[in-house]
Amino acid sequence: MGIDAEHRQLVSARAERRAAFRAGQRAILPSLPGSAAWGLISGVAMVKGGLAVPWAITMSLLVYGASAQLAALPLIAAGAPLWVIVATGFITNLRFVIYSAALRPHFANESARVRAALGFFMTDFTFTLFMRRAQEGTLPEANRVAWFAGVCSNNWLTWQTCAITGVVAASYVPTQWGLEFTGTLALVALVGPSLRARPALVGAVIAGVVALLGHGLPFRLGLFCGAIAGIIAATVADHLASREPPAGAPA
Amino acid sequence: MTEPVTGIGLAVVIVGLALTTLVTRTSFLVAGSRLKLGHRVEMALRYAPVCTLAAIIVPDVLMHGGSWDVGLLEPRLIGVAAAGIWLCVSRNIVGCLATGMLAFSLARLYL
Repeated sequence: MGIDAEHRQLVSARAERRAAFRAGQRAILPSLPGSAAWGLISGVAMVKGGLAVPWAITMSLLVYGASAQLAALPLIAAGAPLWVIVATGFITNLRFVIYSAALRPHFANESARVRAALGFFMTDFTFTLFMRRAQEGTLPEANRVAWFAGVCSNNWLTWQTCAITGVVAASYVPTQWGLEFTGTLALVALVGPSLRARPALVGAVIAGVVALLGHGLPFRLGLFCGAIAGIIAATVADHLASREPPAGAPA
Repeated sequence: MTEPVTGIGLAVVIVGLALTTLVTRTSFLVAGSRLKLGHRVEMALRYAPVCTLAAIIVPDVLMHGGSWDVGLLEPRLIGVAAAGIWLCVSRNIVGCLATGMLAFSLARLYL
């Protein structure tokens, strides 16, 4: 009797986990067109940015980060020092440190291996969805790992399929079409929406001007000076804005 | 201009970029509660991506081969401006890219 009941419990726990996984796969569906578009664009931009097809596919599978990949492309094409390219990707990825810190309390009871796996497959889209559901209190409490795994797996599959499709398709497009310009445009599309926040706008303008002035510096130091100047400017602007909130506007 | 990064250099870059993804995304999830993000650090981390990307885009659009190239009829500038105008009214990135590419191509062919 004991063994039988235990067995039944185990089976139903497994069924619940599987149901949570499928619920996660469904929950991410509304974001998938966005993911698909970014995947496709990254794929096209990699090939048109000068990467051979096998390299582009390897990069997509290993790096799995549109903004870091798109930021690296112009530097790869210009033959920048390797550490400069990697450091640029690192700074572009720094927002994930914040995401990672925000997710931590939700997975505190899981093993380090599970947390690492969930972290690697987390993206802007999946993180946003998870945090929204956590705030609404609509996560399947006991099976949040399975649910988030469902969310991330569907997002990963969509992104990678579209990225590889983009890589292959772009290799058939003649160079004269100027499709390499999509890489620059994709960066603009990444930055644009964030500029609605005043501190980000201040930071971006300062970063752009300083990078332009420092363009001739060795080791692409102009890029780093621009990024650091922009980050300082944005942080100061944010500090000033939060000290004197405009009347009626929520912080 | 120097040669593009290829071969072993490119492999190093790809592995390096993959590590940056892994390290940043798993940082706090794995390192745990021993570390804490201060408010100022969190703000700096939040603004880092947009500032870095701006520092890449601006010289990339306004300079060619290390020299100023700020003619207002420069196709790349026109393409970026069109994409920017699109982003003011819509968040649809496919539309943004299509608008930018269209403006860029027209400027390149007819100006």
